[in-house]
Amino acid sequence: MKNAYTLLTFLVCIIITSCDKKQAINIAGSTTVLPIISVAAEEFRKSNPKLNIIVNEGGSGVGVNQLGEGKLDIGMVSRDITSDEIAEYPEINFKPISIGKDAVVPVISSEIYNTGITSLTLDEIAKIYRGEIQNWKELGGPDKEILVIDKEASRGTRHVFMEIVFGNKNAEANGADLVLGSNNEEQTAIVQSDAAIGMLSNAWLNDDVKGLSIKMDTGEIIEPSIKNIINNKFPITRDLLIVTNGSPKGSVKAFIDYLLSDEGQKIVEDSGYVRINQ
Amino acid sequence: MLGLTNKVGKFYVYTSTLISAFVVFLIFIILLINSWEAISTIGLDLISLSWNPAKGEFGIISMLYGTFVVTFIALVIAIPLGTFTAIFTSEILASKYRFVVKSTLELLAGIPSIIYGLIGIAFLSIWFQDLFDLQSGRTLFTAGILLSVMILPTIITLTDDAFHNIPEKYRETAKGLGLYNSEIIKEVLVPIAKADIKSAILLAFGRALGETMAVMLVVGSIDRLPSPVLNWLSPGQTITSKLGREIAETSFRSVHFSAMIFMGLLLFSIVLFLTILAQNSSKKTERLYE
Repeated sequence: MKNAYTLLTFLVCIIITSCDKKQAINIAGSTTVLPIISVAAEEFRKSNPKLNIIVNEGGSGVGVNQLGEGKLDIGMVSRDITSDEIAEYPEINFKPISIGKDAVVPVISSEIYNTGITSLTLDEIAKIYRGEIQNWKELGGPDKEILVIDKEASRGTRHVFMEIVFGNKNAEANGADLVLGSNNEEQTAIVQSDAAIGMLSNAWLNDDVKGLSIKMDTGEIIEPSIKNIINNKFPITRDLLIVTNGSPKGSVKAFIDYLLSDEGQKIVEDSGYVRINQ
Repeated sequence: MLGLTNKVGKFYVYTSTLISAFVVFLIFIILLINSWEAISTIGLDLISLSWNPAKGEFGIISMLYGTFVVTFIALVIAIPLGTFTAIFTSEILASKYRFVVKSTLELLAGIPSIIYGLIGIAFLSIWFQDLFDLQSGRTLFTAGILLSVMILPTIITLTDDAFHNIPEKYRETAKGLGLYNSEIIKEVLVPIAKADIKSAILLAFGRALGETMAVMLVVGSIDRLPSPVLNWLSPGQTITSKLGREIAETSFRSVHFSAMIFMGLLLFSIVLFLTILAQNSSKKTERLYE
């Protein structure tokens, strides 16, 4: 019986403590926007210790859907919201706010990059994803089959990439060998392979994951540099969005204002993206 | 007073059982209701090859195929390995070591599946990539191997218990007849423990079917049958990995969502069917020991 009382007291304690609910902002969505928001949330909490900010990943599609279902205060989205999504949630007033700019870069394994394939035309990339070019040999590289890495259908990076390369954000990639999710997962797979091609946000490039320059129809070769994103020369750029239902209010508004402030924009820059008003 | 306590106890036990049974029933009903839209609007087209929600195509064959291949590979490896290990721990190993060895093996079951997944991504898939000279080590085969390790403890523990529950007198009698140890195991103990081993395998089968996280990370996640179809060293998709990757991206109550839930219903039905099968098989065989 004594045990039962202890248990009961314990339960009551839990209930009482959990009743004292802290104010919280729920955020989820694109893994491209995630690095900015998670750093910003930490910084923002330093001056607002009472406020909880819960940040989750999942992809742009998750950001839109969960906002539509009322599970989130802010959705992170790295692409435009589709007309289908707007039609799906008629009672939601999606209000996107751009917090930065980014490029989606076709990336390849450093092994291939170092053999001299440093730029491709959009048409060549499309052919690879369609399965019409299957070996790096055909592009002047080593005799290695191309490991084509695609992304989950509702990911923002894929929408933007497919829109530019195929002219259709839902284009099917019949040549794909793997379908992965977050930027992290894609990055790992490209590092692990010596003949892979994939698509990544500009901020995720490194020595093992090389960003391809794009050969334009005019013959000009445009590399994925911050400069080329700022002046809109690089063909596959996008805005990084945070989306709210209606105009933001209260602590959500305060957080968004922080993101748009000089301090917040510094975080955007430090994360490898481009600030908005540049 | 005693009568009252007895009644309260009985009531408590009954309600607990009922609640558990009700939860299972509820899950089934919810899956059925939510998958109804897919069943009614897509119908037989669910049994096709192409999955493309943007075009309204929801074919689940490649997911179903992947699920069975991965489970098959896992079982083919884990069944012999598991039963022989169990025979070793319960019949051959000195009983003072049995506990240590067995609990160490059982620890395998306690490792979270995400850890298996990470090991699979970081090492296993790379090894297979180099070993078989593959484009990518994320294949159905890799997922099967990983899964075999994950279901091993289920088979070992239950089979070991099955052997251990056989009364000593069978072994003594057999020994008295002059049988070798190997003959005792083969001719006496295995036939007795057979029913229990069968349920152990079915339970492991269920676990293999339902494993999500580890499989999702290493299977490659492409909704396509391998070509040729028996080339298991190529990427694929299982029902669970599909659900894990895509369910959050679908909007509630859409056909897409409903089609995903339909796959969940299918999985649930398979596991349910297996469980019933396992129950019946152990009921029918009369136990030789009391």
